[in-house]
Amino acid sequence: MKNKLKVFRAMHDLTQEQLAEKMEVSRQTIIAIESNKYLPSLGLAFKLSKLFKIKIEEVFQDEN
Amino acid sequence: MNIKQYQQIRVVIVIFIGIIVSIGVVKNSLVLAFLAVITGMLFLILVRSKTKITIDEREKTIREKAANITYAIFAPTIGIGTFLLLIPSRSGLAVFSKGEFIYLESLGMIFAYLTLFLISLYAISYYFYNRKFGGANEK
Repeated sequence: MKNKLKVFRAMHDLTQEQLAEKMEVSRQTIIAIESNKYLPSLGLAFKLSKLFKIKIEEVFQDEN
Repeated sequence: MNIKQYQQIRVVIVIFIGIIVSIGVVKNSLVLAFLAVITGMLFLILVRSKTKITIDEREKTIREKAANITYAIFAPTIGIGTFLLLIPSRSGLAVFSKGEFIYLESLGMIFAYLTLFLISLYAISYYFYNRKFGGANEK
């Protein structure tokens, strides 16, 4: 699973800290998601897509 | 109060408890050591209640995995340890029924009950969470 979180975060001019605050998670979680080390829960994925006003599959894509 | 301030205050409290407990031990005053620990715990609870601590889902996942691996390592280790402690006393050799070896059986029994307690606790919590997350074939 890969994601474009970093791209969308940059498009919305948000820092990792700001995004973490909006999502009510730690900055480490945002870093881990961006570097594909952690797969977020469905709830967090929905929150992210809602914030960026896009579909989940636009942020998260299955590599297979 | 943010998490950094909380961590700093926590370190100060822990150092304070350590110092007072050390003084209590040196002066042979268990009451002092006990009071220091209780006071420290109360302060920690108070400080924690004033802090906004975010435990996010990644942290929870890490805790789950850490607990899982701890159980997976600790349960067999303590189980095998129990076995090794009980075998000599059951072997019938006279050397294990006197001197310092006499405590091996008692230690083995304590470990055995500890192992049972650990496994029971795991089984109960597994049952509880299995029901909570809908694994009980509910209609």
